[in-house]
Amino acid sequence: MKTTKEQFVVVHPLDDVFEPKVDTEALGPMAMTRSVRFSLLSLRAYLILMVLLVVYHVVMLAR
Amino acid sequence: MTNKTLIMPAAVSTAGSAAGVETEAAPVRGRVVKSKLARDLLTFLMVFGPGLIVMVADNDAGAVSTYSQAGAQYGTHLLWIVLLLLPVCYFIQEMVVRLGIATGKGHAAMIYQRFGKWWGLFSLVDLQLVNFLTLVTEFAAINLALTKMGVDPRYGVPLAAACLVMLVATGSYRRWERIVVFLCLLDFAWFWIAFRLGPPIAQIVKHALVPTRPAGGITPDLMFLVIAIVGTTIAPWQLFFQQSCIADKRLRFADLKWARLDTFMGACVTVTAAVCMMVAGAASLTHGFRFTDPAQMAMDIGTFAGPVMRHLILLMMINAAVLGTTAISLSSAWAYGEVRGWPHSLQLPWREARGFYALYLISVAAAAGIVLIPRAPLQLIILGVQVLAGVILPSAIIFLQLLLNDKELLGEYANKPWNNWVNWTIIVVLFILSLVLAAQVTAPNLFRS
Repeated sequence: MKTTKEQFVVVHPLDDVFEPKVDTEALGPMAMTRSVRFSLLSLRAYLILMVLLVVYHVVMLAR
Repeated sequence: MTNKTLIMPAAVSTAGSAAGVETEAAPVRGRVVKSKLARDLLTFLMVFGPGLIVMVADNDAGAVSTYSQAGAQYGTHLLWIVLLLLPVCYFIQEMVVRLGIATGKGHAAMIYQRFGKWWGLFSLVDLQLVNFLTLVTEFAAINLALTKMGVDPRYGVPLAAACLVMLVATGSYRRWERIVVFLCLLDFAWFWIAFRLGPPIAQIVKHALVPTRPAGGITPDLMFLVIAIVGTTIAPWQLFFQQSCIADKRLRFADLKWARLDTFMGACVTVTAAVCMMVAGAASLTHGFRFTDPAQMAMDIGTFAGPVMRHLILLMMINAAVLGTTAISLSSAWAYGEVRGWPHSLQLPWREARGFYALYLISVAAAAGIVLIPRAPLQLIILGVQVLAGVILPSAIIFLQLLLNDKELLGEYANKPWNNWVNWTIIVVLFILSLVLAAQVTAPNLFRS
């Protein structure tokens, strides 16, 4: 902020007053189209499968 | 610039803004400066931190191992990949910066609130699992480097763990940040190491700018190393860490351009340090040494470059592991605290954020403890970490991409079409690489000719 001519005050973020942000809790869950929902479900299945595959492989190697 | 500290009643006193003074009950401490240049410089220094830390901490023990192995096996041939990863690193982390500043919340909290509890829990479990395994690899590197330095790891590893816990337990974000930024700046020692090893500058420039095929052609080993370089340069914990760090530091909308600059500078430092690590590996190759691990590489380099160089590389290995450990443990503790609704700030003293600090302590202590177990399967853990991180990363970036397109959440800070083109390209490439990596590790016979 400019206090007088050629004088500025610089404030560290932690010393500044709290800046209002988006109220994310009030927004609730994101509205998703059917294709996005399907993609996320596919991603979920892919992740579970891949993690199981890796765990199986590591266990086999440990034997 | 003066050192004068001004305490004033003000409302919206965003650093560097030319807004007039408005009154409010809460007093604000500020520094008075007399020029726009000084204002900008001081504002940048106040915002500076999360971007540099996330990027330099990304050059953790696993990264030191991967980059030096790449240099020790293929000379400077793979430098162009590292250079290519600079904009990728920046684009991904820049999205995190926007999300963190706009919401003032961490990444785990965002996934939890916008995608629901199930996805929130799923992401959290993935993150905690990969983070913990990565922590084990960090302590394994500390163990290895200490052993080569002649220090008994039974004392050295617990001491390192204790220092890492003390680092965060001061109840001051600023104190933690200053110490960690100092450790990050020690990374510049890699420049000195590379310079002292007499690098072939013309060859480095050529291999950094023009992709070339190493002698021996494209082999499964080369593919594995390329994927490992990508995997070690962009890791899932980075998304969670930087957003939580920005939220904890309470960066403001006006700080966005400085936070971007911080992130870009961090990306440049980390990529240049990675190049130096590769150059160090290449130097050991030139002298006919075979790579086994970075600690042994330090010993090998010591035979022709002297004991100072040997100890410096070992110390840099420990520094990399320490930086990686504090950043990764914090990303776990922040994420868990956000999802559980616990107080989770480095600004809080121990007694006010017991769960947050306890999780950090447990992560560090358990990882250090596992490393000290005789005959613990460390190599298997390292292998598992690489694959799991590679598998999880693209999905973590997809969540980030969806959140960054959430106009309800971000408004004017949401992604522009060109952002989306760049990011979807990165996601597709990462997905392909993660599939190849997973297939290569789980079914190695597929890739044998």
